Amino acid sequence: MRLFKMMLFLSLALTLVSCYSVRFQVENGQWEPDDTEEGDPYYRGYLERSVPKKVVTKKLITGADYFNISDCESGALHTVEYKSTLGGILLNLVTFGTKKQAKVRYVCIKKEPSN
Amino acid sequence: MATTTIEERQRWDTLHKNGPFPLKFFLKTKLEKDSSGLSGFEKYKDVAVEIQKLIKQAADSNERFRAIGSRWSMSSIAHCKDRMHYNVFMNLKFSIFEGEMHQDSTYDHSNLFWFQCGNQIKEISLYLERRGKSLKTTGASNGQTIAGCISTGVHGSTIDEGSVQDYVVGLNLITGPNPEDNIYVERKSRPALRDTYAQNFNAAKVIRDDEIFNAALVGLGSMGFVHGVVIETENLFLLHRYVKKLDKAEALKLADTLDFSNYDPKILNTDFKGVRPFHYKVFMNPYNTGENKYAVEFIYKIKYYDNYKADFGNPIPFQKEFVYLDLIYLFIKIAGKIPKSIPKLINLLKSSILPKEEKTTVGKLSEIFWDAGYQGKAFACSFGVDHTHSSKALELLAKLTREHPVPGIFAMRFIKQSDATLAFSKFPFTCMVEIDGIQWRKKDKIIPLKEYSTKMIEILKNNNIPFTLHWGKNANWEFPGLVEHMFGNDLKKWKKVRSNLLSIPMQDVFSNKFLDATKLSEPLALDEDLIV
Repeated sequence: MRLFKMMLFLSLALTLVSCYSVRFQVENGQWEPDDTEEGDPYYRGYLERSVPKKVVTKKLITGADYFNISDCESGALHTVEYKSTLGGILLNLVTFGTKKQAKVRYVCIKKEPSN
Repeated sequence: MATTTIEERQRWDTLHKNGPFPLKFFLKTKLEKDSSGLSGFEKYKDVAVEIQKLIKQAADSNERFRAIGSRWSMSSIAHCKDRMHYNVFMNLKFSIFEGEMHQDSTYDHSNLFWFQCGNQIKEISLYLERRGKSLKTTGASNGQTIAGCISTGVHGSTIDEGSVQDYVVGLNLITGPNPEDNIYVERKSRPALRDTYAQNFNAAKVIRDDEIFNAALVGLGSMGFVHGVVIETENLFLLHRYVKKLDKAEALKLADTLDFSNYDPKILNTDFKGVRPFHYKVFMNPYNTGENKYAVEFIYKIKYYDNYKADFGNPIPFQKEFVYLDLIYLFIKIAGKIPKSIPKLINLLKSSILPKEEKTTVGKLSEIFWDAGYQGKAFACSFGVDHTHSSKALELLAKLTREHPVPGIFAMRFIKQSDATLAFSKFPFTCMVEIDGIQWRKKDKIIPLKEYSTKMIEILKNNNIPFTLHWGKNANWEFPGLVEHMFGNDLKKWKKVRSNLLSIPMQDVFSNKFLDATKLSEPLALDEDLIV
């Protein structure tokens, strides 16, 4: 029983540690601005968008597919954030590694109109 | 056609949540798409017509209209209860060619650029850098729009350059709904562009007049819609940044005199002895009276060369780690894990020493004054005084702050005098004494911000220190006779120009509560008009 509890505790700890958020941001680009009060304070003043599909299939995890981003008018990205959640890890466990849940947020580069 | 979305809203707030303020309509205009095949000039003219349509709609509804940019101002200067127009997507950019210059112009055409109002400082810097050019100065960061910067007097601490409005050489204003209300203004004493070039931008009239230009420069969003600005840039340069601890007396002497002729900053591997820095800034924790050194930021201008990163490294990763960036950022860093109790935080500051930071960084202007993310609900009060009064003003305001503690720390920055009629940098060299920090609540039992800022005004008045206030920062703007006290006859000059440029109905359309509170929206009395 004690061993089982320890294993459970260890599994939970490992699962929690597996939750992470990684953010990439370009240095030389103007972010697309926005004027809203809602959302994550980190993105205040930025037009934050997210990939609607949260369940990530094995093809995405293994690199055989990619997230499709089609709404950046400038065609360029300023910030990309990949967030792995506890729910996502649990889904991964339940589906034996075939599916995962992730949150992908991004900010586009501001459109530069042509002259 | 340019398109405007009109969103019904209940409220609006500044970036640092100094509101909320009530609002009816939030307007956002986007330029005609590239696929339309319109040229830049055609898109610019097209959106000018759209803006005039929006101004007419506001006037017909007896409502006020106000252009806003990145909402960095902490005062209510950007707010208007009726129609607020978000113009950040109006970001056309134009180089100026030799044949487009006025015959008497003394400017080098390659240094001049026409930027539409919604261009943000960062995108302007990136655009200029691709052409080997740089802005002359910016604020501590880069998110503001160019029109927002000049309308409120955004500044850095560039002793010999001034504020953002000081490198503007021309303004395209839309002062009403009629075709003749689209005007281009520049100085008569320093003309820049040919009339025919301004006409490319739909300007029906070109005005060359120093008094009108200077009044419109810091126009507080009330001289019409600033559609475009022509600015003078310069060749790329590098900035050498260093923060060190300096004896209080020495830091204050440098502030009071701005005389660096015998001063040696003793920065390793450099020889800046006797050189006046590009930028000088003094940081001060008012609560720790035992600290005998101030943290001081020195930035020197050096010649640009391409592979500076090979010698000094990429400045951006260092800048991200530095604590001496903008004042709010520094405050949050030194306060560490901010206790929920603001009084406890203030107690913590009594023993908190400003951190040491002696890493040199070298980079372009846009790299040294880089992105500043949202740092929470913040406040800032900022006073302009003649630099010879800087140590005295700092001492008085710091003492007042110890008597009425608020969660913030001080800094002093220095700016060259501006020609703009209502620039707060009105002294030969203005020292901006500023306190930035986090907002508090009623239950914290701390002096209310309005009362604190009233006491700040009173203490400077009582000690006969002439002062100005930063238009975009917190203050008791309803303090009786405040603007008249700060600007005297210049206030009348500004009002006179406003009444010349804007019809009476348009003066109301381009007013807001801030202007009403400061009496800036009140027209000049007829007899005063004759005297100015």
